[in-house]
Amino acid sequence: MQTKRTIFPNKLLPYLLLTPQLAVTLIFFIWPAAQAVKSSFEREDPFGFRTTFIWFENYTRLFSEATYLNSVGKTALFAISVTLLSMSLSLLLAVAVNRVLRTNRLYTTLLVWPYAVAPVVVGILWWFMFNPSIGIAPYLMRGLGIDWNHRIDGTDAMLLVIMAASWKQISYNFLFFVAGLQSVPQSLTEAAAIDGAGPFKRFWTIVFPLLSPTTFFLLIVNINYAMFDTFGIIDATTSGGPAQATNILVYKVYADGFLGLNIGSSAAQSVVLMLIVIALTAVQFRFVERRVQY
Amino acid sequence: MATINLVDLKKNYGPVPAVKGINLSVADGELIVLVGPSGCGKSTLLRMVAGLESVTSGRIEIGGRDVVRAEPAERDIAMVFQNYALYPHMSVRQNLEYGLKNRGTPREEIDRRVREAADILEIGPMLDRKPRQLSGGQRQRVAMGRAIVREPAAFLFDEPLSNLDAKLRVQMRVEIRKLQRRLKTTSLYVTHDQLEAMTLADRLVVMNGGLVEQIGTPVEVYDRPATLFVAGFIGSPPMNLISVEGLASAGQSLPLPRGTDIVGIRPDELTLDAPAGAHVALPGTVELLEPIGGESHLHVMLGNGQTVILSVPGRPDIAEGAAVTVHAEHAQMHPFSKETGRRTDAVANP
Ligand SMILES: Nc1ncnc2c1ncn2[C@@H]1O[C@H](COP(=O)(O)OP(=O)(O)O)[C@@H](O)[C@H]1O
Ligand SMILES: [Mg+2]
Repeated sequence: MQTKRTIFPNKLLPYLLLTPQLAVTLIFFIWPAAQAVKSSFEREDPFGFRTTFIWFENYTRLFSEATYLNSVGKTALFAISVTLLSMSLSLLLAVAVNRVLRTNRLYTTLLVWPYAVAPVVVGILWWFMFNPSIGIAPYLMRGLGIDWNHRIDGTDAMLLVIMAASWKQISYNFLFFVAGLQSVPQSLTEAAAIDGAGPFKRFWTIVFPLLSPTTFFLLIVNINYAMFDTFGIIDATTSGGPAQATNILVYKVYADGFLGLNIGSSAAQSVVLMLIVIALTAVQFRFVERRVQY
Repeated sequence: MATINLVDLKKNYGPVPAVKGINLSVADGELIVLVGPSGCGKSTLLRMVAGLESVTSGRIEIGGRDVVRAEPAERDIAMVFQNYALYPHMSVRQNLEYGLKNRGTPREEIDRRVREAADILEIGPMLDRKPRQLSGGQRQRVAMGRAIVREPAAFLFDEPLSNLDAKLRVQMRVEIRKLQRRLKTTSLYVTHDQLEAMTLADRLVVMNGGLVEQIGTPVEVYDRPATLFVAGFIGSPPMNLISVEGLASAGQSLPLPRGTDIVGIRPDELTLDAPAGAHVALPGTVELLEPIGGESHLHVMLGNGQTVILSVPGRPDIAEGAAVTVHAEHAQMHPFSKETGRRTDAVANP
């Protein structure tokens, strides 16, 4: 890869130019993160007067707590479902668009809109549509004999947040898949067609393997998204309920810390999340450097 | 083994015609080269035969069977693409096997054919490499191999050598020719390079603007170009096309067929010394002398302001700006009509 280098004659100027970015990073990321790590080793009394250093007690307590382990399970289910659902749907859409409309931008533009919608708004949108008393979806489903109530049924609630979160992410995945598909030379699928492969076989034996760099990249991004960026959606639709059914890790950090005021446990939870993010990012960086080889 | 018949084949992209009605009969085992400038519709024609492009109207028969509505896979053809189109995530062996596996060829048969193709093309040692680990020439061989393992009724080539450097191109050209002679598989070969076309073809199809200008053996096309376009396209340097007024202004009468207003003469048929037969003599000035090894190209500006190119042996001792007389024998002249763009002696001596 080619990189552009600028040579600064002044030794001080580069640092000066970096200062705003460094300041933002320090004040809004590093400092709170350090605070969280510190708090995770402490216990604070309910009035915030006294803190005691308690080593790993917050952590050991956390991993023996049934609600936390439940949340880990829910998060895994949620993240895997959202990733699979949104990636497969967007791949399907991308293939359709790529096939029929190699040049038409209209469909692409329309399909990208959901990405511009803020997570909370997505949540409210789906909350409305699936609202057991006023929503259109439960009304239609009752017509089909399905009883929908995500306020009391944990499975319904999980389905709802999975759908809402997947819907929002489809646009993003779609864009990357379309770009990925366009970079697969048409002559390869033509050669495969002459070689006697039907449309499905062409896709699975030629196109899909060549998309693997895009797919892998999106896999990481989507897991990241489902685990950390879906707070707004959960908050606006189910608030983690009913009965912890949709209380994923990132929402539990908030609920325990700001609603339950258990700062120590909440901090320990966020440190665990931080480690997960770091691991995912490391995987992603290694991938970006080496790319997936075929 | 198959014949190919194209009957009044047309292709429009929206309102724009790319191929405007082509008739062509390819005999079994024949190598036909479609040659013409970029954008004249060669690839479109070839892709219609392959089934990669829909047909606007007309018929395509392969081995006597109308295939216009058949899928590419059902046409029993193999194609070699300009960019080779090797599957980058598969090894060379997998590339060769792919088409056979899709057709359910038995394992022993696949192995036999791959071994044979690898022997013929000398790619045996590369079978387990990926395409990106091969040089351009080796990729070209693998692309050929993928076509021959299929043992198809016909090969289609779309400018298969144009991504190679000049030296390799000549070498691969010879190999393709030998291979085709050996396998005797009916072939359609597209190129814009007239030298490649001349050396490879059993018969040439010279195309221009979506139409056929002339069909014939390379020698026929070279010796008797049917149209002004072919005269200017085939041969390097191209045939000199001199207006009849230009000749007449030199004060010399010519026995030319009626309606002739342009006369074509090959650069190697123009001479500085007067030839034995009946000829015209045209005074001019040397503009440029290009020595190119065994021969030299002499650019001479005639009295009417037109420049002609002479191809003369060796390195003549002539200074640029010198006055010379260019001689053209009557017998070597190709008479054309500017209006129709065709030969005017077509009926007189066919
Ligand atoms: N997919 C397409 N859509 C519209 N026009 C096309 C398409 N493919 C080719 N053409 C046009 O058809 C003409 C013939 O193209 P092509 O067969 O590729 O020429 P060649 O192979 O002789 O260079 C060109 O004018 C080209 O612009
Ligand atoms: Mg072409």
